[in-house]
Amino acid sequence: MKLLVVEDDATTGSYIARGLREEGHVVDLVANGRDGLIAATSGGYEVIVLDRMLPEVDGLTLLKTLRGAGTLTPVLLLTALGEVEDRIEGLQAGADDYLAKPFAFGELSARVAALARRPQALEAETVLKAADLEMNLITRKVTRGDVEIDLLPREFALLEHLMRRKGRVQTRTMLLESVWDIGFDPGTNVVETHVSRLRAKVDKPFRRELIETVRGAGYRIVA
Amino acid sequence: MTRLRHIWRSMPLRLAILLVALFATVSLLSLAASYAVTQSSFEETIRADLQQDLAGFRAAPSARAVAQLVEAESRAADPGRLILSYVARDGRIYGNGAIAQDEGGFHIFSLNPDRAEFEGEYLSLTNPLYGGVITIARSRAEIVALRGVFVNILLISLLPTVLIALSGGLILARRSKRHVEVVGAALDKMTSGDLGARVQIGPRWSDDLVRIGGKLNQMAAAQEAQMGALRDVTSDIAHDLRTPLQRVALYVQDLSDRVADDPESAVLASKVQGEVDGMTHVFHALLQLAQVETGSPKARFETVDLTQVCRKVVEVFEDSAVASGHDLSLDLVAEPLALQGDRALLGQMVSNLIENALRHTPSGTEITVSLRGQEGAVVLQVADTGPGIPADERGKVLQRLYRLDRSRQTPGHGLGLSLVQAVAGLHGAQLSLQNNAPGLRVDVRFPTKVG
Repeated sequence: MKLLVVEDDATTGSYIARGLREEGHVVDLVANGRDGLIAATSGGYEVIVLDRMLPEVDGLTLLKTLRGAGTLTPVLLLTALGEVEDRIEGLQAGADDYLAKPFAFGELSARVAALARRPQALEAETVLKAADLEMNLITRKVTRGDVEIDLLPREFALLEHLMRRKGRVQTRTMLLESVWDIGFDPGTNVVETHVSRLRAKVDKPFRRELIETVRGAGYRIVA
Repeated sequence: MTRLRHIWRSMPLRLAILLVALFATVSLLSLAASYAVTQSSFEETIRADLQQDLAGFRAAPSARAVAQLVEAESRAADPGRLILSYVARDGRIYGNGAIAQDEGGFHIFSLNPDRAEFEGEYLSLTNPLYGGVITIARSRAEIVALRGVFVNILLISLLPTVLIALSGGLILARRSKRHVEVVGAALDKMTSGDLGARVQIGPRWSDDLVRIGGKLNQMAAAQEAQMGALRDVTSDIAHDLRTPLQRVALYVQDLSDRVADDPESAVLASKVQGEVDGMTHVFHALLQLAQVETGSPKARFETVDLTQVCRKVVEVFEDSAVASGHDLSLDLVAEPLALQGDRALLGQMVSNLIENALRHTPSGTEITVSLRGQEGAVVLQVADTGPGIPADERGKVLQRLYRLDRSRQTPGHGLGLSLVQAVAGLHGAQLSLQNNAPGLRVDVRFPTKVG
């Protein structure tokens, strides 16, 4: 993927760029809003990572200008006041997702990946499959090979979320937002507990593990 | 009733009543004085007339002549105005009425009311004459009529004045009450966090109210500017801190990736990572607290079902509660309890309360989250059966960063309850800490009626 990172702090910027490059992306890094705007409008990027506070042209202004000009490239907004207010303001200005600083690289990478895939609609079928794992969304039956697996409702929702995004990393906060519908970090290990319970039912009794932990980032279902 | 009392306590009405009372007293006194003067001058005239009459009869040469004169004059006189009576030495009575008095001199009397021709009061003069007694009486009707005249003057001039002054005062009082209410409403808005509220000064306001309103607006503007400056400072600090924090977070991550093969270094790196996470957490909590306290999240309030919020948050804590041996339960009523608020902040409030209870009570403690709809309020309670908080420390735990002595060893940054309090304040809710006997019960009382 070709990505644009607009970040005024050189250290953070180069770390992000390096990390994304290591994942195989092509990354352009600019350090101020003016250059960011020029680069962004010239197009060709799949996702833009945009810092909210920038010299010369502020991140929100850049975003509004971009959207005003009809550029629809998905934007991940990075902000310091990582709380609801900025989030709303950012989303209103046209951001597609939002990440509070300081963040872990894994979170950023997972969210960039999620944004890039966004235009392709989620898999719409009623039966989700990964290797020999099958999930029927209508009968709510989960099977692996010939074995039927009993899941509690929340475990089912978690597995469904991961299966629909097969191969893509889902971070703890992303799962809290989508599966538990909680927009803040309650500081509990509810995600970890549910993942390990899900593993005990879906992976443990079988030879191949399908739920993978991505260190420093989150979880994904092996494609 | 209370409205009347309010109006009575207003300045313009009191002034009006005071002035009216003063005016009425002075008018009454001067009227009374003129009445007295007029009456005594009338009385004097009648006395002089009586004395003149008497002198005429005295001029008669004998008792017989007096009797004849009395008879003659009383025939011509109207008994309603003048009564003449001469009781001769032999007991015979002459004149148009027998009104002899025992003593000489002036008397005021009324005759038997049955006799219409002698109606009303008379002033009489009695004097001995030629062995008999002569009595002349003149009607005091004019003097009596005078009283009526004065009562009329009183009714016609004083009463309307009093009525007009009183209703004028009442109107002024109500108007000034309205103006004061405008000032009060603006103050209420300012107190509830809307620093943009201003007193709308009307064109017909009195000078002193205009001055007060102007001063209030100045004060609000100054405070708004200060709040703005504070917000700028907060966001500057946030900007200055986030960059180094972000760098540290990335460095640490890089470092732990590099030392992943060396177990000792890996442990150290993960400890550093943990501390960075902790710092980040406090940093976010402080920023969030600052934001909530400015009241700005009010702008995006929506209808939130608190029942659902509680259910979700309790579910997220269930596993932790089981792991730490706590008995976490939910006590809800069937119907949804909705209020105007910020969903995420309300969720965090419930979350912080549960987290506090889990953290500060021993294993085996029961924690109950309950929600009740009451008259005009929704009450959220998080109660535990733990050690509780001594009454004298309950106020302190709401202070920012305050921690009970016994809690110093447990993790946490002491901002949890501050945020709960700030979120409660934002929603106009009352937060109170109660004795759950045993344990602590936190009550958050949300008013559901706007007003």
